[in-house]
Amino acid sequence: MLDTATTAPATARGRSRLRRASRLVQYAGFLPALGLFGVFFALPLGLIVAYSFWETIDYNVVHHWTFDNYHYFFSVSTYVHTMWATIWVSVLATALTIGIAFPFTYWLVRYVRRGALQRLLLVLVILPFWTSYLLRVYSWLNILGDGGAINRFLQWTHLTHHPLSFFLYDRPAVILVLVYLYFPFAVLTLYASLERFDWDQFKAAMDLGATPRVAITRILLPQIKPGITTAVIFVFIPILGEYLAPQLVGGAQGVMIGNLIVNFFTGAQYTRGAAAALLIAALIVVLLVVFRRSLEVEDPYRA
Amino acid sequence: MSITEGRLSRADLLKAGAAGALGLTFAGPALARGVRIDGTTLNMLTWSDHYANDQLKAVAKAVAIQGRPTLFSDNADAYLKIKQTHGQFDIVSGDALWVPKYHKDGLTTSFPLSEIGTSKQLYSIARNFPFWKDGSNYMGYPFSWSTVQIYYNPKYVKTKPDSWHALLDPKYKGKISLENIPTDVMAIAARATGGKKPYSMTKAEISRAKAFLKEFKPNVLKLASQNNEVVRALADGSAWIGITNLGTDDRVKDAGGPVVKTAYPKEGTIGFIDSEQIVKASGKHDAFFKFENQMQQAKWIAKNFITNGRPLFNEQAYKILVNTGHGDRARRQYYNQPEKALKMTIKGPAGDEQAYVDAFNEVFG
Repeated sequence: MLDTATTAPATARGRSRLRRASRLVQYAGFLPALGLFGVFFALPLGLIVAYSFWETIDYNVVHHWTFDNYHYFFSVSTYVHTMWATIWVSVLATALTIGIAFPFTYWLVRYVRRGALQRLLLVLVILPFWTSYLLRVYSWLNILGDGGAINRFLQWTHLTHHPLSFFLYDRPAVILVLVYLYFPFAVLTLYASLERFDWDQFKAAMDLGATPRVAITRILLPQIKPGITTAVIFVFIPILGEYLAPQLVGGAQGVMIGNLIVNFFTGAQYTRGAAAALLIAALIVVLLVVFRRSLEVEDPYRA
Repeated sequence: MSITEGRLSRADLLKAGAAGALGLTFAGPALARGVRIDGTTLNMLTWSDHYANDQLKAVAKAVAIQGRPTLFSDNADAYLKIKQTHGQFDIVSGDALWVPKYHKDGLTTSFPLSEIGTSKQLYSIARNFPFWKDGSNYMGYPFSWSTVQIYYNPKYVKTKPDSWHALLDPKYKGKISLENIPTDVMAIAARATGGKKPYSMTKAEISRAKAFLKEFKPNVLKLASQNNEVVRALADGSAWIGITNLGTDDRVKDAGGPVVKTAYPKEGTIGFIDSEQIVKASGKHDAFFKFENQMQQAKWIAKNFITNGRPLFNEQAYKILVNTGHGDRARRQYYNQPEKALKMTIKGPAGDEQAYVDAFNEVFG
């Protein structure tokens, strides 16, 4: 029979093993995500990084390490110009999307009674997701085109006698379609934020003499800032890499950087394409770092 | 414990996850058996106008070989995909001088045309293209061909544009549509500017072609990702001019659009002669012969012509078209004159693809 002095360390070792095992089990749930992102994100990203420093010679990707692809990108004004155009199109489309989505969501949360009607309106917002992305973009050709709904209406009302062609195949068409495409993302994100907001604080501010504008800017907006930032991230970042919308409705004047990257890949210039794609990715990382500060929630009741 | 009774503990969650995973593990193969297609599957890297879904289904039923297509737009893209994926694809479609490049680089294998019985239905000229011969073997099965020319809407374009330079006229601002294939657009620009070998331009010739495209750009409505977008733009009137394949006039009409006419630029043009090739690393060469023997039957090729409008090399299909009242349409698209295919600059790999793509992007960015 073992005495207490010998069993105590053994029990302690057993407890320590259990604690370690318990800690490992905690991370078990993380493994599938780690596998998925490791194999399908980190590894391909690593390959893209490597490609961006290699060369393409006679349809062969040659493993000569070089900065040539990056140097080429910045030495040609077309790419820099298109990059800037992509950024301002993304900024404008994001601002418009949030600008339209915020008042709608505010109205939905504040004035529509929670229940069947609110749910129905939310379903209507996400209704476009029931059709394919391609179809949603393509349908705009039938609205904005020469023979599209707008031109037919204008001619039917005799406001014009010939189709107006400036609705389609230029940057305004791209921005319009992008706002339409990303509106549901903005609404859903803002809804999640506004729905949790304590409206009694808003009423208290009004009771204490704040105008609605002041109550919105000093009480509501600071508290839902993480929600707005998330909405901006969900809208702005995908727009930066957009290819299909500018391809279908942008025409020769509405080209974004994604379209030029596709040209590199279809022309088998994988190394040039990888460098351009990584520059977009780098820009997104920088923006995420900037946005991260806005995602930190301040305690409204802090002493 | 039910999740409605209270908080779900971590142990319960893990148990539920494990049970779900086990369930999926056992149910997966059973479900897969329910949808499996018996027989061989051939992965095809091809263009959308090389097959129809009902054709693939019928062929699968006839010879138990399922064709599984993956699409590409530019030959360069397909070439690199084949090079990098080794035996992942079994069949790859390719244009004219790309076919010897695939073969020379050891990516495809040549074969006796007689292995595919339907090759007897081909025009004899299609069985004897010198650039596809490898001794007594052939590097690919001839499929279709087309010149790339100008189609214009006579309602808006009063003077027939019989030169590439006619397309620079400012009155066509934002009214021209063409496919977004950098190498081919550069080759057209080479034709316009007197480049001797449109797919192997010198640096000076590339500069001239680029200058031509810069002047041309304001007139471009859109660079279409697919040929059907050019057809659509001509059909709805947003484009007055399209630079595209044979048969576009019929397709525009079929799409409810106006009458469009064709014009051949006096500087000459480019075009394609395409084929189906066996990927060397595939290991399913016998299945390829069986599969293509069904896919290339005259009845399917005749249907393909009616859908896509450009000529093909199957002579027996032409006879079907004539017998079913489509003879005029087929003759208008030169179906019965395959020798015309050799009078254009046929597509091929660019001497310096990077310089071509760079120049194109620098203009259209």
